[in-house]
Amino acid sequence: MSIVLQLLINSLIAGAIYALVASGFSLIYSTCKFVHFAHGAVIAFAAYILYFLFSVIGLNFGFSVILAIAFASLLGYGMNIVYNKLRQRKASNVILLIASFALLILIESLILLLFGADVKTIGYIKVAKGMEIFGAIITPLQVVIIVTSFILLLLLFLFMKKTKMGKAMRAVSDNKDVAEIVGISSEKIYSWSFIIGSAIAGIAAILVSLEQNLEPMMGTNLMIKGFTGAIIGGIGSVPGAILGSFLLGFSENFGIWYLPSGYKDAIAFIVLLIFLLFRPQGILGIKRDEKA
Amino acid sequence: MIEAYFIHLLILIGIYLILALSLQVTVGFTGLLNLGHIAFFAIGAYASALLALSGFPFLICFLFAGIFAMLFGFLISIPTRKLKGDYLALATLAFTFVIYAITLNWTSLTRGPLGLPGIPKPVIFGISFSNNLSFLILTFIIALISYLIIKKIISSPFGKALEATRDDELAARTLGKNTFKMKSFALAISAFFAGIAGSLYSHYITFIDPSSFTLMQLIPILCIVIIGGLASLKGTVLATIILVLLPEPLRFIGFPSSVIGPARQIIYALILLLILIYKPKGFYGKMELE
Repeated sequence: MSIVLQLLINSLIAGAIYALVASGFSLIYSTCKFVHFAHGAVIAFAAYILYFLFSVIGLNFGFSVILAIAFASLLGYGMNIVYNKLRQRKASNVILLIASFALLILIESLILLLFGADVKTIGYIKVAKGMEIFGAIITPLQVVIIVTSFILLLLLFLFMKKTKMGKAMRAVSDNKDVAEIVGISSEKIYSWSFIIGSAIAGIAAILVSLEQNLEPMMGTNLMIKGFTGAIIGGIGSVPGAILGSFLLGFSENFGIWYLPSGYKDAIAFIVLLIFLLFRPQGILGIKRDEKA
Repeated sequence: MIEAYFIHLLILIGIYLILALSLQVTVGFTGLLNLGHIAFFAIGAYASALLALSGFPFLICFLFAGIFAMLFGFLISIPTRKLKGDYLALATLAFTFVIYAITLNWTSLTRGPLGLPGIPKPVIFGISFSNNLSFLILTFIIALISYLIIKKIISSPFGKALEATRDDELAARTLGKNTFKMKSFALAISAFFAGIAGSLYSHYITFIDPSSFTLMQLIPILCIVIIGGLASLKGTVLATIILVLLPEPLRFIGFPSSVIGPARQIIYALILLLILIYKPKGFYGKMELE
């Protein structure tokens, strides 16, 4: 019983983090219609900014966190300028994908160059003793991760449903041309998707960096989990991304019941392959236009 | 000393050339954005290394590396043949990670992160290619043969049909071409050459571990293909030579290797971005990816 409960808690923690990554990625995908790999680089970037400001310079923690999120947004905004140049010459979404891959490698290599390959720790939270719930162990930080993630995802959901900007984003995602006819600037919406999506990535980065060590390639792995979650749930649908991420968290953590834990990452990719093959539109997704 | 260094660079150019040419078959000529090329390279390298370590002669290892990779290329093509554009890219990318996870975790076969040391240098019909000059000649011959075979394939009616599939799949199907089958063959051919490049690599370096086959390694090859120009073999050769040599001056300025590694990747990533923005067709490209 306690093993099942422990796996359940582990799944929730993993799912909460994947959901943050996936929702930001999905927000960008839904409006801009291409796979933004470099989302992973934004995560690594924010984590290292936090490390630099808090652990190296010694700034106040809260202030460092805010700056790290702001820098993540700024990086997302900057990346959109690069993509914008490509969009101006009507590049296909595959070209944008290659560009985002190049951006990912670029940022990760810059981090590697500046900070080195060895792992870093933030060291804000002293190793805390876990609480025991029916024999399963959860640390206070992990509770914070789950709660923060749920609150953020709820806020994002309300933002998309209730605010003018959120509605405009959904309009562009649904039909860009019609949205433009009614006076929504799609370029502006693209920029805002990147700013908001990257800020969420920044928050995910902070939660991850408190729980785990930092390494330059940390973003790639999280990114893959994030987009696997997004594809399982239905790419381009933010609620779908959240659902898919939790499902991924569960299948990974329960999968290693049967497989050696080293195969945890492989499970995600196999789930991804299965979905791409049999239900590429995901659980909640609607079949995509062939041309898109 | 300087001679040995140049021979090393030329061998690298040869191996990269085979990899880039084979990636052209899928990305350039068939229009499939295949991000799984490193996985085929890894399969070839591991297959060849494992066979050689269990005592098989080089030629068998070499051919088997290609055939084994080809088999995987064919297998992966069956479920993905209906996927297009970015979805295919994601599926092949996932394949790269699955292979990476296997090389890392199947320790009884691959020794995991410890890697496989002591891979023998090639011996063919009693001729040993253990010094680098002779290995260069071997690499050059294999690269040349690969070039000629790929050129032959793409200028054959089959190659033309591949290009037709890329440009307008529906039209190609209407004309009675089985485009699914052709895409499978293209992926299998591409994987075969990636596999033999892997074999050459493992017998040259004599040591392989999973870290040689990460996604990072894809960036130089993708960069070569796009800078050379899609569907241009001439451009690929030129781009391979330029891109392999380009980061080398860093070495002479005296940077430590911990700087050169990331700096190389930064250079490749920047060039790729600039090319995509300002000269999307590369040197001799005929078209862009749709």
